[in-house]
Amino acid sequence: MVNACKPKNEASNIVFEEEILKKVDNGHLGHKNLSDYGFFTGFLVDLVPAQNVHPYELNTPLFSDYAQKKRFIYLPESSFIEYHPTEVFDFPVGTVLIKNFYYDDVQLINQKGRIIETRLLIKKASEWLALPYIWNNEQTDAILEITGGVQEISLLDKKPIHYQIPNMGQCKGCHQRSGTLQPIGPTARQLNRNNLNDGEDSINQLRRLSRLGLLNISEKEVFPKLSVWNDPKTGSLDERARAYLEMNCAHCHRKEGPAKNSGLYLMSSSNSRHALGIMKAPVAAGSGSGQLAYDIIPGQPEASILLYRMNSTEPAVMMPELGRKMIHKEGIALIRSWITSLE
Amino acid sequence: MKVQKQFNNLDVVIKYGFLMVIMGTLLGCENIPSHDPYRNYKSIEKALLSKLMLAKDSTVIQLEKGHFIFKSSLILDNKKNITLRGRGMDKTVLSFKIQENGAEGLKITNSENIILEDFTIEDAVGDNIKVTDTKGITFRRIKSAWTGEISKKNGAYALYPVICENVLIEACEVLGASDAGIYVGQSKNVIIRNNKVYWNVAGIESENSENVSIYNNQAYNNTGGILVFDLPGLTRYGRKIKVYDNEVYDNNFFNFAPPGNIVGAVPSGTGIMVLATREVEITNNKLENNKTIEVAAVSYALIDAMNDQKSQENRNPGSSTQIFEERAKMDLEYDPYPGAIYIHDNTYGEVSWLPNLSNDFGKLFLWKFGFDRPQIIWDGMVPENYLLSNGTLNPDYKICIQEVGVKTAILDVANDFEGLVIDPASFNCET
Repeated sequence: MVNACKPKNEASNIVFEEEILKKVDNGHLGHKNLSDYGFFTGFLVDLVPAQNVHPYELNTPLFSDYAQKKRFIYLPESSFIEYHPTEVFDFPVGTVLIKNFYYDDVQLINQKGRIIETRLLIKKASEWLALPYIWNNEQTDAILEITGGVQEISLLDKKPIHYQIPNMGQCKGCHQRSGTLQPIGPTARQLNRNNLNDGEDSINQLRRLSRLGLLNISEKEVFPKLSVWNDPKTGSLDERARAYLEMNCAHCHRKEGPAKNSGLYLMSSSNSRHALGIMKAPVAAGSGSGQLAYDIIPGQPEASILLYRMNSTEPAVMMPELGRKMIHKEGIALIRSWITSLE
Repeated sequence: MKVQKQFNNLDVVIKYGFLMVIMGTLLGCENIPSHDPYRNYKSIEKALLSKLMLAKDSTVIQLEKGHFIFKSSLILDNKKNITLRGRGMDKTVLSFKIQENGAEGLKITNSENIILEDFTIEDAVGDNIKVTDTKGITFRRIKSAWTGEISKKNGAYALYPVICENVLIEACEVLGASDAGIYVGQSKNVIIRNNKVYWNVAGIESENSENVSIYNNQAYNNTGGILVFDLPGLTRYGRKIKVYDNEVYDNNFFNFAPPGNIVGAVPSGTGIMVLATREVEITNNKLENNKTIEVAAVSYALIDAMNDQKSQENRNPGSSTQIFEERAKMDLEYDPYPGAIYIHDNTYGEVSWLPNLSNDFGKLFLWKFGFDRPQIIWDGMVPENYLLSNGTLNPDYKICIQEVGVKTAILDVANDFEGLVIDPASFNCET
């Protein structure tokens, strides 16, 4: 009816000028180049860890436009990590978490595989600092760019996207607990697995860190484990769906997270049906509601706001708000089955 | 609590509504207004973004004259005593017309004593300015708007402090929000004064907030002028709200909220609405030509059921009664009824001949009251814990109305309007 009554106005002209200030002062937050840190030996692009740098993997990672990730932790000489059974470990000052985002030859259309960006989380005295580094075309180094960046990415069987490298402020949009910047991934439940890259002599990552004297924990400790979202051997549908929601949503949607105002809490430890979104009306969803009344209606995935927002790439609608330009089809399928299974 | 019955009569309301659809259609095309300022954009995105990220505490960031366009949200996090100042409304314009990343225009988090003044912000895909977890936030002479024809595709909130303390919003101009123009949620110690709000669904909304003063504002041409709401399952509840010295008129704009949002249930033609909040005083406001109702006090059950009906047709999520009861169980602290409401010494304009017939309330009023409908209503739902042992309403929860020459009513929606009372003596608390 709105459109029938009046023709829609044309948008005003947009005339772009060059960036007024091209040069951005990074304020000496970190090294200019990734290579300056000395995390890797040989050619940087091969990501061969130097001394005190250790690879790790997560059970259920965050979806980032199908980018693959190589994760490393740098620990200062003679320091160790303090174990925690449920929360992110307590890391010594000087720790750096190094996350490299890349696409391989098979994924990229008519292009060789390449590393897009490397994100560092650096443990300062009291807080963590997040720094985004963007790889050059030659793949010889990555350069600190606190305002982030955009890259055209064309993946096989997917529409091309403007891949978004987050700015420093956006990093904290997700990496935040009770107002301070925090890592998300390195918890006991996420790290409790073997590292697939180790091949034959693969052992549990937590045990290995412990044997290297890097994790303060007894050999007898029984570690909790988060399911692998896409491996039915590791958990029930419910467990895997909840693991997926925890990693993709609960960094904000938890009581200590930036989306606490929504009252929607998606940690897999959350046990209130209402807080999980079941028959919960949205609070401030705006057009994100998709004309639907509840976050989750058991048995009705297509009538559930949660799935609607995961299944969108519109900035006003999509969840998570940042960090993806594509829809995660396999993740959607998991959550759809889960909502269908709910009573 | 007579929850079971509440919804039978609501069905009556809604069925009756369908009969009246023809009348609604006869009202014909609404004239959709449009906001089309001249713009000539420049990009300073990286420069401003890094300025905000690297700002030292206790500094003023001066924005020059010009129309600046951004692809991503601007973020100010963990700062103290920062002023972000433009060269005046419509002189300094921050536009998010081409936004690709993030939902907010300007997002301020975990900060203290932030002042935003003298600029225009417009066209964010979600909220124009969102402020969370901040102590001390001032919005002064900010124009927050969506350009083009007013549409449900506009962002939700124009000025949106949530989980904040010490909030001051003054001399701002706000238009085009598809939810609430000025929206303060889950906050404490709030002043909203001297603002002009129009062409929003809700002009000004205080939600789950405490110690809120809303005065000297002009709220006109919204769907609802001023709303005081309390919803379940959030981080705090609202109380101690004072709404005074405002001009609330002509709030007959069609409801363009995307369905599924609670304000989608606010009837076009609402002046001031209090939903499930206690300790609310409404005085010395000028209320005029809000064609459904000038002032309404309603329960969460009612508005929620209205909203369900709109967004959930054919989806059969279970009966409204079940949902409401399930929800009440989930937040035991939540009180879904209005109480301790004091409405006095406001002035009211002439009552229009026909109510606003675009909504169920308007149709109901025409049906129940003909051409002489009330200006103030209470839905009349009372939980048992609001009653004294002798069955009368505990004075602590009373709804007091001291107005001259104004028609009031208790609708008694819980009992098919059986106990509907016009100008009830119980509203008179001055004996």
